[in-house]
Amino acid sequence: MEGGYSPGRFGRALGWATALYLVLPLFIILPVSMTDQRFLSLPHEGLSLRHYAALFASGEWFASIAQSFWIACASTILAVSAGTLFAIAAWRINRRATELLRALMLLPLIVPSIVYAIGLYRYFGWWDLLDRFAGVVIAHGVTGIPYVVITVSTALASFDVRLEQAARGMGASLRQVLAWVILPRIMPGIVSGAIFAFIHSWDELVIVLFIASRDVFTLPRRIWDGINENQDPIMAAVAMLLIVFTTLLLVVDLAVRRRRDG
Amino acid sequence: MMRREAGWYALLLPAFLLLSVFYVTPILQVLAISFLEPSPGFSNYERIGTNLSVQRVIITTLRICSITTVLALLLGYALSYTITLASERARRWWLLCVLVPLWISVLVRAFAWVTLLRRQGLINQTLQGAGVISEPLELVWNEFGIIVGMVHYMVPYAVLPMLASMREIEPRLLAAARGMGASRGQVFARVFLPLSMPGVVAAGVLVFIFSLGFYITPAILGGGKTLMVAEWISLQILDLIRWGLGTMMATLLVVTILVTLAVFSRVVNMRRLFGGA
Amino acid sequence: MSAALELRGLAKRYGSFVAVEGADLAVERGSFLTLLGPSGSGKTTILMMIAGFTEPSAGQLLLDGQDITALPPEKRAFGMVFQGYALFPHMSVAENIAFPLRVRGQGRAERDEKLRAALDLVQLTGFADRLPKQLSGGQQQRVALARALVFDPALLLLDEPLSALDKKLRAELQEELRALHRRVGRTFINVTHDQEEALSLSDEVAILNHGRIIQKGAPAALYERPRSRFVADFLGKSNFFQGVVRELGGGWLGVQVAGLRLRQVVDGPRPGLGAAVLLSLRPEKIAALGAEESADNIVEGVISAWSYLGAGFSLAVETALGVLRVHLPAWRAPFVPEIGAALRLGWAADAPTLVDDDDAA
Repeated sequence: MEGGYSPGRFGRALGWATALYLVLPLFIILPVSMTDQRFLSLPHEGLSLRHYAALFASGEWFASIAQSFWIACASTILAVSAGTLFAIAAWRINRRATELLRALMLLPLIVPSIVYAIGLYRYFGWWDLLDRFAGVVIAHGVTGIPYVVITVSTALASFDVRLEQAARGMGASLRQVLAWVILPRIMPGIVSGAIFAFIHSWDELVIVLFIASRDVFTLPRRIWDGINENQDPIMAAVAMLLIVFTTLLLVVDLAVRRRRDG
Repeated sequence: MMRREAGWYALLLPAFLLLSVFYVTPILQVLAISFLEPSPGFSNYERIGTNLSVQRVIITTLRICSITTVLALLLGYALSYTITLASERARRWWLLCVLVPLWISVLVRAFAWVTLLRRQGLINQTLQGAGVISEPLELVWNEFGIIVGMVHYMVPYAVLPMLASMREIEPRLLAAARGMGASRGQVFARVFLPLSMPGVVAAGVLVFIFSLGFYITPAILGGGKTLMVAEWISLQILDLIRWGLGTMMATLLVVTILVTLAVFSRVVNMRRLFGGA
Repeated sequence: MSAALELRGLAKRYGSFVAVEGADLAVERGSFLTLLGPSGSGKTTILMMIAGFTEPSAGQLLLDGQDITALPPEKRAFGMVFQGYALFPHMSVAENIAFPLRVRGQGRAERDEKLRAALDLVQLTGFADRLPKQLSGGQQQRVALARALVFDPALLLLDEPLSALDKKLRAELQEELRALHRRVGRTFINVTHDQEEALSLSDEVAILNHGRIIQKGAPAALYERPRSRFVADFLGKSNFFQGVVRELGGGWLGVQVAGLRLRQVVDGPRPGLGAAVLLSLRPEKIAALGAEESADNIVEGVISAWSYLGAGFSLAVETALGVLRVHLPAWRAPFVPEIGAALRLGWAADAPTLVDDDDAA
């Protein structure tokens, strides 16, 4: 902020302390994951990559990573297609009724997952979707819709309606307007939404705890068991990989947004 | 214009159907069960007045959520304030400090805290190694651990709305106030703080309602000794098979959250929170 | 000449709010018409109804005698330059200009040829691969023009095309726009709130207020012979005198204004004796008279304020008629003005016009 006004010493110190509090625990995982010991601790003699090697050699972990990845991909596709169409239509219609529908779309962000999870636990029993790939994809896809609706709506809010009018005034059909004018302009919003929907599914645990047990055993589920049961440093290696993966996705997102704004 | 809009309405359908069938219905079912099982009526709700375990978990949850909210607001405010007044270039790095933890898996974060806080954890080992303490401190598997983890989770959520409202404050106002002879403290108390208040209220509401239904962090860092509502519900359903009681608490949770939101709906803009990050 | 576009009783209401009421207008083929009015006067609504983005509540639109009221915008395909230009930010200059051709599925060769001609027309050859944000405001405006003209539309609609530009550039582009209109020979319909722009660009100007077309005509006719107080006041500045007709001469009236008898020429219908009339007198039509000079109407006054405008002086002169606003060209001002100085003012009997008091200003 310009204008020659800066925070005082106390404010600045508390700000820095908070930032360290947010970030340091995440950094601590890196040395722990490279410990040369058999249990969770800082490295004693030297750094070692053997826990990473163990992680990649382990069929169990690998299977869970693959399963989480495919579930996240499938549910992202579901959330992005339904959410994008919804956001564009609601933006175009723009009446009071669509405002209500938009509020409905945001429910999954507001209602705690535990409530949804116990509801699904019984509901999916009837549909025979418990412990099924499809069941988890549906649950994650539906709860991922709000992220897409929000990012795409935000992109549309800064979309100049006159661009659409200009295109139609020059003779473009609805389909041409969508494909050549609207979609290219809001693509960064769609990509952001997809990234958030993906991370949401990739990290989701509460729902999975209730609607999956043996056949579907996602990565968060395996970490959960790991935290509760043992002190194996392989956990730190997994955590480190997750941090790197999420950070990469966020960097992609930032790059996409910068291109949109620039 | 109606005739040109029919096609657009069709595009609303997929999301609407998905949400109705696979989201709203299971949740409505939860509400229904709370009145129907084990027997139709309000028997589950009467337990709020009579059952000690129910009362204890409600009080524990409210206490932890209030403490979490206050701490997250305090730390988040300092951080937002620093970010708002930082230079354009520095601001990018500060934001990264907020956004990366926001999106890092909640499990990973809880794991990090366990690693740091447990009896043989890094903090205790370091303190013992330095000779500051002789016995390891009880830092986790109690309320303290839960609050450390929850505040860590909630600070980014507190920062985003506060940052949004602080960035709307005209920087020249602050410079002008200094120019008129106000001290830094006066500028903060008389100009900055009042103007940022809408963001603080929004952040408070958001953090509080998010904390109420929190499951993973309290479950891991509480070690099963301190129960909050979400874990208690899970216990009723999965281990004790008391659907009536579990769904009653779930209903209570949802109603509390929706009522809080409705009361503060003017200041909380969910879309801005996530879209404006 | 035949009308290219005709509006018959075109109206737009939003609930009980009337944005445009019953507009009748005929636009000659190949002419440059400007809809001029303050904001909220309904001029943009009329343009949007012509383009097809706003559906009229009543009335008809005819293009070459064909009813096009129900046609969606993409079927009308008029060229349009939007306020702020609405260039597609993700497309290059060439892609922007070729967009209407691409939409029509025209082949590469044809497209390239028309694109080159359009770039040439607006003197932007060499800028084809730039993005809109890499262009200056004036260049963007020219891209918007080229895009609107490239597919040979029957009409070109311009929505405040110059409002985003600074004053100097605006004057330059006014001339360019005028020349472009002559070169392409199409019908242009322009919307603006800037009266100078309207006067200098147009063959015809329609003045709007409160959703109604108040007067239409050639710029000079509108300026010289405004029919109402609103038009006289909106197009430039004016002094107004409220008076009563006391004398009827051959082609002139004697009008009593605040104790003075003014001689006023009339060429239209004459009001009767005793009728209340409103006179509008342009500040530049008032002369400062020397002691020996005479005029049809003379009034004595005292300077109460003045300012220097470069080309002349603007004076406020206190007289029996009230405070008169007077513009004197510098070369004719016999003195350097001084507050409190006495002044004799005069004007010809045909200098003021009789106007309706619509009291809408």
